[in-house]
Amino acid sequence: MTPLELSEIQAYLLNDYKEMGSSKYYLLQVRDATAAKKFLTNIADTITHANATTGETALNLGLTSNGLTALGYSNEENMHSFSREFREGMVTPHRQRLLGDFDSSDPSNWQWGGPNNEQVDVILMVFGKNESIVENYFESLKQKFEPGLSMVHIIDGKPLPNEREHFGFRDGISQPVIKGSNVSPAGNNNDIDAGEFVLGYKNEYGVYPDAPLVKVAQGNLEILSDNPGGYKNELVDKPFKDIGLNGTYFVLRQLEQNVNGYWSFIKKQTVDENGKPNNEEATKIAAKMMGRWPSGAPLVTHPDRDPGGDNDDNSFSYKKQDKGGEKCPFGSHIRRMNPRDQFEESPAWVSLKLTRRHRIIRRVRSYGEDFIGSAENHAPNGEVGLLFGCFNANISKQFEFIQYTWANSPKFKRLYDDPDPIIGVRECPVTGTKQNFTIPQKTANRVIPNLQSFVTVKGGAYFFFPSVTVIKFLATV
Amino acid sequence: MIKQHPLIVLSPVKKDKAEELDKRLRVIRESLQQGTETEFKKVPTLHYGRFVILDRESFRDEPTVPVSTRLIFSTNHDGDKDNHLTEVVTNITNYIDDIYECCEGYPGPGSRTTENRKSYLEKYSIKSSAFYNGAPGRSVQQIHQEAALRDHIWNYIKDNKWGEKASAVDIHRNIRKEIDSNPEFEWSKQMAEVQGIKWFNFIAYGLLLIAAIPLIIAGAIYLFLFHEIWNKKQTLTLSQLDDKKVNKLKEVEDLFPQNQFTQVAVLKPTFIRRLNFQIWMMRTRVLANNVFVHGKLLNIPTIHFARWVLIDKNRHVLFFSNFDGNWQQYLGDFIDQSGWGLTGIFSNTVNFPKTRFMITGGAYDEEHFLAWSRSTQVPTQVWYCPYPQLSIKNINNNTKIRNELRKDLNEEQAKIFLKRF
Repeated sequence: MTPLELSEIQAYLLNDYKEMGSSKYYLLQVRDATAAKKFLTNIADTITHANATTGETALNLGLTSNGLTALGYSNEENMHSFSREFREGMVTPHRQRLLGDFDSSDPSNWQWGGPNNEQVDVILMVFGKNESIVENYFESLKQKFEPGLSMVHIIDGKPLPNEREHFGFRDGISQPVIKGSNVSPAGNNNDIDAGEFVLGYKNEYGVYPDAPLVKVAQGNLEILSDNPGGYKNELVDKPFKDIGLNGTYFVLRQLEQNVNGYWSFIKKQTVDENGKPNNEEATKIAAKMMGRWPSGAPLVTHPDRDPGGDNDDNSFSYKKQDKGGEKCPFGSHIRRMNPRDQFEESPAWVSLKLTRRHRIIRRVRSYGEDFIGSAENHAPNGEVGLLFGCFNANISKQFEFIQYTWANSPKFKRLYDDPDPIIGVRECPVTGTKQNFTIPQKTANRVIPNLQSFVTVKGGAYFFFPSVTVIKFLATV
Repeated sequence: MIKQHPLIVLSPVKKDKAEELDKRLRVIRESLQQGTETEFKKVPTLHYGRFVILDRESFRDEPTVPVSTRLIFSTNHDGDKDNHLTEVVTNITNYIDDIYECCEGYPGPGSRTTENRKSYLEKYSIKSSAFYNGAPGRSVQQIHQEAALRDHIWNYIKDNKWGEKASAVDIHRNIRKEIDSNPEFEWSKQMAEVQGIKWFNFIAYGLLLIAAIPLIIAGAIYLFLFHEIWNKKQTLTLSQLDDKKVNKLKEVEDLFPQNQFTQVAVLKPTFIRRLNFQIWMMRTRVLANNVFVHGKLLNIPTIHFARWVLIDKNRHVLFFSNFDGNWQQYLGDFIDQSGWGLTGIFSNTVNFPKTRFMITGGAYDEEHFLAWSRSTQVPTQVWYCPYPQLSIKNINNNTKIRNELRKDLNEEQAKIFLKRF
């Protein structure tokens, strides 16, 4: 196991900044490449890396492929060595089909990142104890980045209230730990080879992930390292420099949550003959859809009622404890997002191995009112939602695979018409198709038919998260 | 039980008609994508059909025999070939005439008959080297019927509340009564024949394999010393592939819950490599016919039909597959579940990721394998499936529903039956 070069890696990969009560993601556009590069030089040493002690603020930075080109890292061959998903960005006709961004979630309706929005080049992520600290810090940065960069959009964020997302469920319980990162092992199959999340390290296949290499000399190559995969320029028999090393890819999607619609829909499933909903029953259905109770307690270990409190139990498995899905339905959100020991019908050890190849490190924050929904109380003031973020070394194999194959596909496992009830439902289903949620019971299954979509994508982009050294290098191209 | 077979017709395209052919195929493709295509379903024995233009550009690697532009027409069909071809040329005559007008030797407009159209397709049809069927014995009609049966029962279960007290056996009986009262499902009273694993053949194959161990080891060592270590290390990764080509492939992907895959690779020219390929084809044939009969090819649970076809004097190999899910998942499954099988077969083609003793490297060299796979893939001009909303797991599950409905089940079995919905 290779130890990670922590002082090179941007800290957000390893630290969720939960203690930072406020954050703003500033989406910027390159106006003047020379000035923008000067800004990179200026701030490179203030970027929060994984070895830095956490202070009152934290600063991280990512770039879109347009951003790299705009900065001047524009050699076609060099850009071409970035992964195709990153190069193309989140908005292509094919990717729209994969991610299911249709109807209200269609990129043409987005607030940022879509075809009708201004181009996003750089994301500056500022975290602080509170909003004024963030804003003050940003003001000082702004003086440095203008006129090189201009503001396109600001996304406010904060940690989830009591670590619960707006529908009301404790979130972020199952999170991979990167091997070699000095974080104590998480156990239960959550310790994953670094190459799944950081470029330049071996992944769960035992190979180096596809990484961007400098094919044609550009910028100050002296400060870069050779690629560990041994790819060489055959003409001069010299290894290529690696600008991916200690970097990674960051997926960001702004997801609006229709909390009122969500709970109203579920409550409607429980009405008695007088039209009165049953809140207890509604909470149970909602938990079946999520796979955990609002407290976070897994259905696998607490099938009948919520033990309450905050429950971060992550030590369960499916095949051993709930093979038939009578406790936690096959179609539930968490059973899809991490199938653990029951990936398809493989033996448990194979399932565990395969699951490790499709994990992401989630970095989510919430926006809008600090509101925790429930069957009793589900009308927040104004728009609320989740800033879904995740790190992965291979967007196609990880984020896109999870979204398409595990969430959107109604054919998950042996199901027929069951998309992920939280994040996989189409607003307008394809003609002739149904969208159900199947709850296995002792005898005949229960079905919640005609699922509706309560999550709308409002914006999104793929970012490259370079290492500290590569940020310095990019200032020299 | 009606058996399914592969048909493949490989005919030369007229030199000046390649573009026109491409255009005509595009019209069909677009109507399929928009859901307005109505012709193919007139061929009741047709499971999957595809047209692919195979030309020099389709080959990533230098062909070892000269190749001209050819049209591939491939189907997976029910029952005998003659009947299927008759259906094809009589029920979708317009397609066949429009398309084959662009090919060498097709009868002229005035002189076409069912017979000479058929004999044209017959003349250019070639044999598949290995063929896999995810639901052996299930005809198109049966697949549709069983899907309707499942949907009917699903609705019935959804609408009927038996309460906590009803046993699974009771519910099962009720369902059977419901179906029996419905003349539409008269056919389901007869259980479907399902092919089982042919244990005798499987064991015989196993014994033969054991007996051949010394030979296999000797062969592996020989291959390692005289071939593998001399093979070049592959360095191509996915990001490096030609964007135009990849985009052309992606344009027709993920439009339905199912996808197609067409690939052409060049066999390594040495005798031993070609022999090794044939041995692997033989193994695949034995396993596909006798063992992989329950919906899993080498443990991959998402493939409806797949086949390997040797062409050009056995120097080039085509691979076709119809599968659930998308490319990333499919190829990932291949590596994860049966990297050894893929490695065994395709390590005999040029520029496949370097292997050692035909076991390590190869498909397990994930990055380079995916790039190999994508770069040897060929765009499929027309692809038709009569049941795009059914996964292969659904199809096999539907047959089990039909058969278990007729059995007298005990409580445990009835619970399993009810879990199928």
